[in-house]
Amino acid sequence: MSTTDDDKPNGGNGTDEELHGLLAEFDTPGALIAAARKVKNAGYTEFDCYSPFPVHGIDAAMGIKATKLPWVVFLGGLSGLFLGTLMQWWMNAYDWPWNVAGKPTWSIPANVPISYETTILLSVLTTFFGMWAANKLPQVWHPFFRLDRFARVTDDGFFLGIEAGDKRFELEQTKQLLVAAGASHVEECSVDARPAARSVPRWIWAVMPIMTMLALIPIALVYKARATKSPDPHYHIFSDMDFQPKAKSDQPFAEFADGRANRAQAGGTVARGQLKADDGYYRGLGNGQWLSGLPAQVEVTPALLDRGQERYNIYCAPCHGFDGAGHGIVPERVAMLGGAWEARNLVERSSAVIKMPNGQIFNTISNGNNTMMGYASQIPVEDRWAIVLYVRALQRSQNAVESELPPGSEVR
Amino acid sequence: MATKSIHPEEKFKADKMGSRLFKFGAAAGLGLLALSIVLGSMKGDHWRRFLHAYVIGWSFVVSIAVGSLFFIIVHHVARAKWGIVLRRLAEFMASTLPWLGVLGLGFLLPVLFGNKQLYFWTEPSLHEQSHPLWHHMHHKLGWLDPWFFGARYVFYFLIFSGMALYFAGKSRAMDSAPDDATAASIADRLRVAAGPSILVFALTTVFFATDLFMTFQPLWYSTIYSVVWFAGGMIATYSTLALLARVLQQFGKLSHSVTVEHYHDIGKYMFGWTFFWIYTAFSQFMLQWYGNMPEETVFYNYRMFSEWKWVSLAVLLGQWAFPYLCLVTRWTKRILPLLMFLAVWQLVFHWVEIYWNIMPNAQWGTDQAGNLMGPLYGDPANHKIGFHFMDLTLWLAMVGLFIAGIGKVMKGNLIPVKDPKLGECLAFENY
Repeated sequence: MSTTDDDKPNGGNGTDEELHGLLAEFDTPGALIAAARKVKNAGYTEFDCYSPFPVHGIDAAMGIKATKLPWVVFLGGLSGLFLGTLMQWWMNAYDWPWNVAGKPTWSIPANVPISYETTILLSVLTTFFGMWAANKLPQVWHPFFRLDRFARVTDDGFFLGIEAGDKRFELEQTKQLLVAAGASHVEECSVDARPAARSVPRWIWAVMPIMTMLALIPIALVYKARATKSPDPHYHIFSDMDFQPKAKSDQPFAEFADGRANRAQAGGTVARGQLKADDGYYRGLGNGQWLSGLPAQVEVTPALLDRGQERYNIYCAPCHGFDGAGHGIVPERVAMLGGAWEARNLVERSSAVIKMPNGQIFNTISNGNNTMMGYASQIPVEDRWAIVLYVRALQRSQNAVESELPPGSEVR
Repeated sequence: MATKSIHPEEKFKADKMGSRLFKFGAAAGLGLLALSIVLGSMKGDHWRRFLHAYVIGWSFVVSIAVGSLFFIIVHHVARAKWGIVLRRLAEFMASTLPWLGVLGLGFLLPVLFGNKQLYFWTEPSLHEQSHPLWHHMHHKLGWLDPWFFGARYVFYFLIFSGMALYFAGKSRAMDSAPDDATAASIADRLRVAAGPSILVFALTTVFFATDLFMTFQPLWYSTIYSVVWFAGGMIATYSTLALLARVLQQFGKLSHSVTVEHYHDIGKYMFGWTFFWIYTAFSQFMLQWYGNMPEETVFYNYRMFSEWKWVSLAVLLGQWAFPYLCLVTRWTKRILPLLMFLAVWQLVFHWVEIYWNIMPNAQWGTDQAGNLMGPLYGDPANHKIGFHFMDLTLWLAMVGLFIAGIGKVMKGNLIPVKDPKLGECLAFENY
């Protein structure tokens, strides 16, 4: 228990000082809790406890009421829910409605994940900043910082400070209370009484606007650049990344004699698996004519037809429709957007596709026709033949007459 | 950490509680079961409704017993202290698993011996290529074979029961440990065993719920189904734990050990699992709704566009929205009558959710050619709830038989008196 020196109050320079309050140190968190309870019971309200870690039970001992923060967070969460939902409605249904596969532009279930995230976001932000506001943070300076002993509050010191502004505060009496409460050390803390010393230094008021203006310069430069034309070449920050010494496909390349980056296959050679000499199987041709039958490699089985149906439903049905009549989802969408394009009807009696030889259908699948693109890169050869078979099956089934039905079938 | 010793006047011996619960549960359970059998025999639908309601009630109690096992394992693996005074109660609940395995024979034996009304995959015509669903089903029927199904049922219950009896038995052995060092070494053993047990538990639960409850819709796909089942079971587990502790306190037991702080923590878990349940349930719904593929949307098609839509809405509001809003704040978890009300509410809606999950499968359809097409077939507008009084009596019968099971194993101490961390649990406070 040290005594305080009245001629030189701690932390001050001796002139124009006024008492801020008393700081008492305790050895254990338990002692701090007991002292807090005593101080509260003595009727003090303007006091606080300081410890290196959260001390369980201190809020009850100090008589601090339960925080209202949860209600603020709840409102923050509700705002997030509302704003997130409003944002999605504005983006998807109002400002930029966009037809995706005919789905509605506004539908609650689709918005739940985003609304859920914004609820969490605003709840978390209100928790964090609400806690700051409730605790008057950030606080960069406190009168107790003037006391050397107080530095231990982030290490192993447990402190209780009573402010001189408290109604019950009487220097000697309060000191005795703290000693009686088990303080190992009680110390007065003073602050500079001069108004000038307790306000923000004047030079800061000058520096702040200047720094603010300087901070705007890079932003202003970026803003100017986005609307300015310049004859200068791009500035390359990483020129070795922008200009790499390597050959790119279909580009000039001086290192080779022909000046091209691409290396052609050596004359008179064929890569493994690339021969594809069988015109019938790979191109649907026989003696220069479209094949009307099937190449020998294609064996008609129920499994191959099933495969054809599956591939057809994946690759062809989006345009040609599941029944081949040309009413797929793509033409439907084109019509929805006001266009006039239609997919070819593969099955109606007058369709050219009915009369096409198998080889020509195969060729169309491989290389495309009119607006249809070629699918050779997506569908392997065998699957393309399977699709040809399935298209034939569709044509047959869509144009079947009663006499062709297997016995026992029901006509509706 | 602050610690406390057991209050000198605490009544922590089970004494007559076990036989009380057993008598009450057995009387109520058997009585209601008999009533249900009478009702079932009057229904004249080859016991289809009866069996479905039986599985629903059974799923309800099994989900609680399985959830209690999870409670025990997680507490050991995390060395949790707050719930030690509740652990023995969870051990009683989990120890009913062998009994619930026997109780399940009530629908398993009919399936094994030729009943075709419960699981659609038992339908013999599915094995014929001419059946329209053969294409979708034939590769699944190897797994969904009645006897293989029965073998897996036995396997699941051997694992569940084995784990439950191991953890409960060791914990009881701790009570009679001669000294603290022995008790501490048992606690360590349990903690080490709990790690791998979690893995075994997770895998068993996933396969169990998929096999027993998801195969009602053998054409439907969902990879999160068993997690939803487990999440619902966890809500019910914590609700039951709160109610069981409170009932014991009404009989003067544990009145000093289980404090409002422990109930508060149970309430937090009820809140947490309620949200976890809606998270998983909505994950399943949204992906299937958005993907809009027939093999997935079939589940919701018959629950959103039929009479069932009202039940769907009730599940959404009753299993999630209402209890979620009630439990979000601190004080509701600390007012015991309110918490007990919410626990009962959660249990009722846990049953409604399982009912909503399984009962729509009780209505089967046939196509125009006369092929049996199983559950969820035809126009959803014609799909009916068809509520029957038996649905309720069978649920309560299962609850009664579950309570009887708890009473049967409720012996000795109601708290693990020698647990090394018991003192910290008794002094537990929420700050």
